[in-house]
Amino acid sequence: MPLASRRYEVADMMAAQEFYHSRGWTDGLPVVPPTADAVEACLEWAGLAPDHLVGVEPVRACAITAEKLAVNAVMAGCLPMHFPVVVTAFTAMLQEPFLLHGATASTGGCAVLVVVNGPITADIGMDATFNALASSDRASTAIGRSLRLCLINLMDVRPGAIDRSVLGHPGKISYCLAEDEAGSEWLPLAEERGMPVGASCVTVMAAGAPRQLMNEWTTVPEEILDTFASEIRANMRHYSIWPGNYAIVVPPQLRAHFHAAGWSKADVRAYVFEKARILRSEWADCGKGAVVRDRGGSEYAALSAPEDLLVIAAGGPAGGFGAVIPPWLGPKSRAVTVAIGACVDCEIP
Amino acid sequence: MPSAGIMTETFVSAAELMARVLGAEDYPFAVIEHPISSADQAALAARAERAAADCARLLLNADG
Repeated sequence: MPLASRRYEVADMMAAQEFYHSRGWTDGLPVVPPTADAVEACLEWAGLAPDHLVGVEPVRACAITAEKLAVNAVMAGCLPMHFPVVVTAFTAMLQEPFLLHGATASTGGCAVLVVVNGPITADIGMDATFNALASSDRASTAIGRSLRLCLINLMDVRPGAIDRSVLGHPGKISYCLAEDEAGSEWLPLAEERGMPVGASCVTVMAAGAPRQLMNEWTTVPEEILDTFASEIRANMRHYSIWPGNYAIVVPPQLRAHFHAAGWSKADVRAYVFEKARILRSEWADCGKGAVVRDRGGSEYAALSAPEDLLVIAAGGPAGGFGAVIPPWLGPKSRAVTVAIGACVDCEIP
Repeated sequence: MPSAGIMTETFVSAAELMARVLGAEDYPFAVIEHPISSADQAALAARAERAAADCARLLLNADG
């Protein structure tokens, strides 16, 4: 089946860049011209027809086809072997619990965090170690960027148009990482979220910017997690008190202490669930006393259930750092996990 | 069902864009001052008073 997208002819590579910029079709960075050959190579790799309906954006009834995703994936720098991750990530974003329109239009300025699990991460060269949260490798950067370009070009999620973000954050350029399954004794994130053992999967979450923390002065799991929980509480005090999906990224130096103590991800989640709570009265300490009213004694939990915490093993080998990634806006958007290529016609669980 | 939308001034362009992409260009709505979250009771009452008249007009289909 031939491609349906309109074709344009430009003089050379530089002319192509100016053409794309002039049309508002990029994120401000140069793009790879999406030639027919390059787009078709992506579709062929994923085994998808150009008109394959990946999904429909529910608010605006905007149909998203594989061809349009492939065009933007090429523009972002994706190789064909990256494309199945892009398709799966967008499939996940189109699931109702993700609330794509709200997450991409909100003044809150979140970005789509993408976590990739399974053998595909090694196959396409994703590196879950050094610099895990930004610019770690070609595949991670290009996949994350492709989602942003898809939002811009397929759904008009441009700053000042649909995208009403007051500030946004750098993750909007690209916010994609693999989980370091080889370097971890923990169950992979996707497997914990019900995906088949050994499957390659993508998890998406409407996420704020990562908040980096450090505690390398203890080996006690509870104390390490007290630092993570404290950062979550800070987000609840300074940003939003409502519960939602939080993600924590745990690099090897801290993971080693959990592994030595026999703590599973479930143990981590259970502890953080209990510790990440604040009283509404704490808002008075940070300038929000006007909304405390007579409910100062009410306790708010960051997580509605332990399962709402996404525990991700990733990061470079040295340093007692970690990161908390907060939700866009409480429970409005839910993290969604989808298996890659399990069955393109199957109903998403 | 008769309805009346209310936007703050800052969101007028967003409302117009959404109306356009949803196929309802020129969809009318009431406009009030921005923001509302930090407005005191008196300011909110003033906004509500202004919006009420506009909403009544919208609900009565005065804009067609």
